[in-house]
Amino acid sequence: MEYALIFVIVVALGFDYVNGFHDAANSIATVVSTRVLAPRTAVIWAAFFNFVAFLVFGDHVATTIAKDVVDQDVLSIGVIFAGLVGAIVWDLITFYLGLPTSSSHALVGGMAGAAVAKAGFDVLIGDGLRTIGTFIVLSPLIGLALGLIFTLVIFWVFHRNRNVERLNRGFRHGQLASAAAFSLGHGANDAQKTMGIILALLIATGHAGADATTPLWVVLAAHTAIALGTLTGGWRIVKTMGSRITRLQPVGGVAAESAAAVTLFATSAAGIPVSTTHTITGGIVGVGAARRLSAVRWGVASRVVWAWIFTIPGAFGVSFLSFWLVDVFS
Amino acid sequence: MDRRAAFFLVAAAACIALVPVANEHAWVAWTVASVYVVLALGSWLDARSHRRL
Repeated sequence: MEYALIFVIVVALGFDYVNGFHDAANSIATVVSTRVLAPRTAVIWAAFFNFVAFLVFGDHVATTIAKDVVDQDVLSIGVIFAGLVGAIVWDLITFYLGLPTSSSHALVGGMAGAAVAKAGFDVLIGDGLRTIGTFIVLSPLIGLALGLIFTLVIFWVFHRNRNVERLNRGFRHGQLASAAAFSLGHGANDAQKTMGIILALLIATGHAGADATTPLWVVLAAHTAIALGTLTGGWRIVKTMGSRITRLQPVGGVAAESAAAVTLFATSAAGIPVSTTHTITGGIVGVGAARRLSAVRWGVASRVVWAWIFTIPGAFGVSFLSFWLVDVFS
Repeated sequence: MDRRAAFFLVAAAACIALVPVANEHAWVAWTVASVYVVLALGSWLDARSHRRL
């Protein structure tokens, strides 16, 4: 029992590590592509703010994942393990297919699929899932609107400034702050999802009460895992994000990252798990749309919509099968 | 019609479609929808002024 618990906690932290490894590119791509920081310095910068996020935000998102997705009575080591396997396998499938999937949505779909496999659809908590589903669509749209508004405000404030080179230099340094803010939001929202999984595991195995808050060691372990992921892997996949959706200048980088950071701060404070990838994608599309719609590469942006539609049902299906296999072999 | 304005109106419609399922966060969906309507109006006026130039 104890070994199984430790094993699933390690798998959850591994999921968190991969999340940091994969998503670091979102926060440092523009800083690296505009040569404000060298890749190695940029990942250290992002990892630091990933880690300190626990000092700024509470554990509202963790509580939502642990208590508002499925009925706590149905949670067990098998259900949570199958949910994690579903999320990881779905992430790998979509990575292979080139879909910009969301680990967060995969985790929610995975938990739901494994719980339904064990005890049927009645165990799903409708209110919690409706809120998460609503913000799957709303968070990129909020990021998009804010990205566009921030760009327009910046242009309006600085439109009399004729020294473009000096202005660009200023915004290049401004990106340090916006990238730090986005990394803080990323650490807060994404590390908390793993905290939620581990909290659910502790409650399911009787190591924590039903009303327990997240223990400090879980908070530290989750933030350490995501920061280590960012530190070790982020720079490898940083190349494409800065120019994949629309070509970003420093001013656009500041606007997009600030838009995504504000969205992540607000959703983290409200306890709503959202996709950091989709939020920054919305911000970048907003910056492109401030110029003209044709500045946005809609092929990439539309793949996000496909990821919205398929991620939760996909991870749900894989977790459903995983639980069935876990059940057969145990 | 200006394509950007049309895009913003579709985004506003998507937000309004979420209102019935948004529970206590319905106000967020309404607020974002309102912002997109304002952006659509601004974009349409911008496109119209460019056509006149």
